[in-house]
Amino acid sequence: MKSSNRFVLSLIVALGIVCGAAGRGDAAPKKLVSIVVTPSNPSIVLGTTLQFTATGTYSDSSTRDLTKSATWRSSAKPVATIGNAAGSKGTAISRAAGTTTITAKSGRISGSTILTVTALVVITVSPANPTIALGTTLQFTATGAYSDGSTQNITTSATWTSSAASVAIISNVTGSKGVATSKAAGTTTIMAASGSVSGSTTLTVTSAVSEGNNLLPISVNGSLCSANSYINKPCVSVTVCTPGTTTCQAIDDILLDTGSFGLRIFKQALNVSLLQVVGSSGSLAECVQFGDGSEDWGPIQRAGVKLGNEPEVQVPIQVIDSTFGTLPAACRNADRSPAVAGFNGILGVGLFTHDCGSACAHSARNGMYYSCSGSICTGTSVPLSNQVQNPVALLPQDNNGVIVRLPNIPRGGLPSVDGSLVFGIGTQSNNVPSGVTVYPASQVGEIVTNFSGNTYNSFIDSGSNGLFFPSSGLLPNCPSPVSAWFCPTSTMSFSAVNAGASGSPSGVVSFEVGNFINLMNSFNSVFADVGGNGAGQFDWGLPFFFGRDTYYGFEGSASSLGTGPYFAY
Amino acid sequence: MKTRRYTLSFGLVLLLALFATSHQVQAALGEPVDSVESDREALSAVKGAITVHTGYTVHQVDSDSTSVREYVSSSGVVFAIAWNGLVHPDLTQLMGSYAGEYERGLEQTPREPGRRSLLVETNRIVVEKWGHMRNLQGRAYLPALMPPGVSVDEIK
Repeated sequence: MKSSNRFVLSLIVALGIVCGAAGRGDAAPKKLVSIVVTPSNPSIVLGTTLQFTATGTYSDSSTRDLTKSATWRSSAKPVATIGNAAGSKGTAISRAAGTTTITAKSGRISGSTILTVTALVVITVSPANPTIALGTTLQFTATGAYSDGSTQNITTSATWTSSAASVAIISNVTGSKGVATSKAAGTTTIMAASGSVSGSTTLTVTSAVSEGNNLLPISVNGSLCSANSYINKPCVSVTVCTPGTTTCQAIDDILLDTGSFGLRIFKQALNVSLLQVVGSSGSLAECVQFGDGSEDWGPIQRAGVKLGNEPEVQVPIQVIDSTFGTLPAACRNADRSPAVAGFNGILGVGLFTHDCGSACAHSARNGMYYSCSGSICTGTSVPLSNQVQNPVALLPQDNNGVIVRLPNIPRGGLPSVDGSLVFGIGTQSNNVPSGVTVYPASQVGEIVTNFSGNTYNSFIDSGSNGLFFPSSGLLPNCPSPVSAWFCPTSTMSFSAVNAGASGSPSGVVSFEVGNFINLMNSFNSVFADVGGNGAGQFDWGLPFFFGRDTYYGFEGSASSLGTGPYFAY
Repeated sequence: MKTRRYTLSFGLVLLLALFATSHQVQAALGEPVDSVESDREALSAVKGAITVHTGYTVHQVDSDSTSVREYVSSSGVVFAIAWNGLVHPDLTQLMGSYAGEYERGLEQTPREPGRRSLLVETNRIVVEKWGHMRNLQGRAYLPALMPPGVSVDEIK
């Protein structure tokens, strides 16, 4: 080891002496041997220019930049010309699609390369001829096809126009290029242009929100949400009436939640009086808990509830009131106000018709329902008719399920988006299923999701504001204080496989997760690509809903998709 | 094999101990196995199965609202609990002497609206909750008392 090191060292010293001697002895004039033109065989788009470089190699193997001294020539001047004036030496200007040989010459020595000029031939705008609901937005994409057969996404470089700005406008602002925002029902031609080439498609805007009596507008971080709402919050307005009267109140900032069942409204937001439901020996009250450990406590009262233009239904709801009676241990930390919870109430329209079901009808120790006499509250059983119920299941016609309909949103998000909660499945012309797969759910409303080699119980929940799942080391958490979210350096694409509770059918779901901190810097509030680490389950939150209809078939109710509980999309 | 037989007979002894102890006021996490009984009383639950695993046994107690599974090491200490049901169980009882540490940890954990899960991590305990209406779930464990070779994924 030691001796071989010594050998290498002496070899290096010897070579150094030889080289040094050769360098000192070189006095003959050096001759230009060859010229190389770079970049080699380039391709440029018509309308652009390219700077070439000529490099000369000499008899002593040294090189020199000859760009400014060489004579430049283009073999096909109609395709591209090349500059020979000071300041433009070696700069090729494209003139037409085709190929030309670019040559640099110095004395009798020359070098050349082939320049290809491709022309933008066609621009295709996609999606083709889409229809969107009034109040929603849509991201268009422009794809350029070139004379050499290649294609390129030119959404960000194209110039976008809308022929009827009263129907929809389209953005040319960096970050939202190609996003159309609907303004009124009608049609407009959306055009993307680059130079003299353009492509177009027809955008139809329908006034979906006002068509049909079975729709409830959803506003994600828009006009139906309170100011300073947390991100990805779907809000609805619900009208609550004193039963049997016309004394009614519309209450907005109600969270649309497909992960729970029944209507709950904070006492602070309620101005109309309701009818207290009687428990076993006093006033019926409930402690409802959520997955994050938060708790809502308060009396159960019968209300007249109007959902959109559907007929009013009489239904027990929970009035959230942490001052009612005495808080049971299970609701020790019950939310005190809308400000603490982040909303005025919750409209639970998920897979089940009752918030507890038969378990609470048969046992007083169900942990949820209590009967309060004075301040003393004790556990009680509750017949199904007195439990908090999914009000949609009580509608006269559109009662077998709901569809959550939200538009696509672009990467990077939007300030707000609007959509619809559609009542009924196959009960009217606007809720007939087409092209959806039905995923039967378990008795607790879950399906299964296979992600990164692991299988999780999962659910599709509009009340979750991100995609929450065990990251399996695939995604880094953001730094504190937002470590509950993922912060990959760039947006990452994933896929998972959803399957019915019994394992079939199954289907792939693709999704993206971006850097939460970067996204939040945009001042947008609605994002299709936010997620965070969560133990034990795969929670398909609001990002799942964008750009699709998500169906919820109620337990025991039949539709053309089968008998619930099922998810379909 | 030898270990398993030992654990099995140890489990039987513990089972007898369960019947013998009726008025223990000790709680569960970090406590001897007989605290399972006091948890059972506090939760108004009935005893479910005891299942034997490599390195630990799982004692299930079922109430009308929630199933609780207590993970007992071969040295007889409850090192983890897991649950699922209509409500999360009262952790004041199940966390035993760690209840105060949990409460302080909970107070310091910021509210994440729109979330369907919770992680409370302190020096000695990890508590996770997740789920949705009709299936609320969670687990609590003492990382320092986890038997060697037992993965957190087994606590479910």
